[in-house]
Amino acid sequence: MTAPTNEPSDQRLIESTLAGDDGAFATLVARHRRKVFGIAARFARNDAELQDICQDIFVKAYQKLKSFRGEAPFEHWVSRIAVRSCYDFLRATRHDRENIPLDGIELGTQPSDNVQHASELLHWAMAKLSNDERLVITLLELEERSVRETAELTGWSESNVKVRAFRARQALKKILEASHER
Amino acid sequence: MNDEQLNELFRTARAARPDTSRAEYGFETRLLAAIRENRRQPIPLAALAWRLMPVFAAIVVVAGVWSYSVQSEMSAETTLGTGDQAMFAGLSGGE
Repeated sequence: MTAPTNEPSDQRLIESTLAGDDGAFATLVARHRRKVFGIAARFARNDAELQDICQDIFVKAYQKLKSFRGEAPFEHWVSRIAVRSCYDFLRATRHDRENIPLDGIELGTQPSDNVQHASELLHWAMAKLSNDERLVITLLELEERSVRETAELTGWSESNVKVRAFRARQALKKILEASHER
Repeated sequence: MNDEQLNELFRTARAARPDTSRAEYGFETRLLAAIRENRRQPIPLAALAWRLMPVFAAIVVVAGVWSYSVQSEMSAETTLGTGDQAMFAGLSGGE
């Protein structure tokens, strides 16, 4: 995000935060909050989980702020922390997600007929994927990140991202086909 | 399900951008409170153990060096003792 000229830059806010100004960190958070919430919302199941994940992300960012070298924009840096935190969240809640029932999600209609229906169906199917598969599908297909960006965010190689994405799509197709057969 | 259908599902799901405004409300205030709370809390034992890791490593190295030097000294004394015994045996006519 480009800061308006009359507002302090991210780098300036970081320096002020490191000097002990918590208000500067609050401004930095307000500036990048929407992006982080957008990523986390793809993984959280409700507002409480979303708040917890985002709080965890920004607390980590605050604690690691000294290690921010400014080689990449702060937004990229915090996005990497967000993706890792979401991955940790997926690992921690894996068991809960596997048991989500299909009740309440109407099948048999065209997904394009109903945005909400498509979203719920996909959410249900993605809960059945492995953590890696879910992460790669979320970043590539829902967040519309490029393979390169996904590789940077996850720390995987580009070829690894492609392989995982291919497998994830195959797995997702199988899950959705099986759900239609029911 | 083919690729086109799956892509269509992704396209539709992308349109349902989650509304995060409720969760975002007052977020900075809660975050700063959590950060201040973390700052007040004493360092957890596990974190302290990690921080003290270099000290532990130094103790292990020093103990290792000390143990090695003591062992070498004892080994030298044993060798010397064997030599004395051999000399005594030679003088007394034994083997």
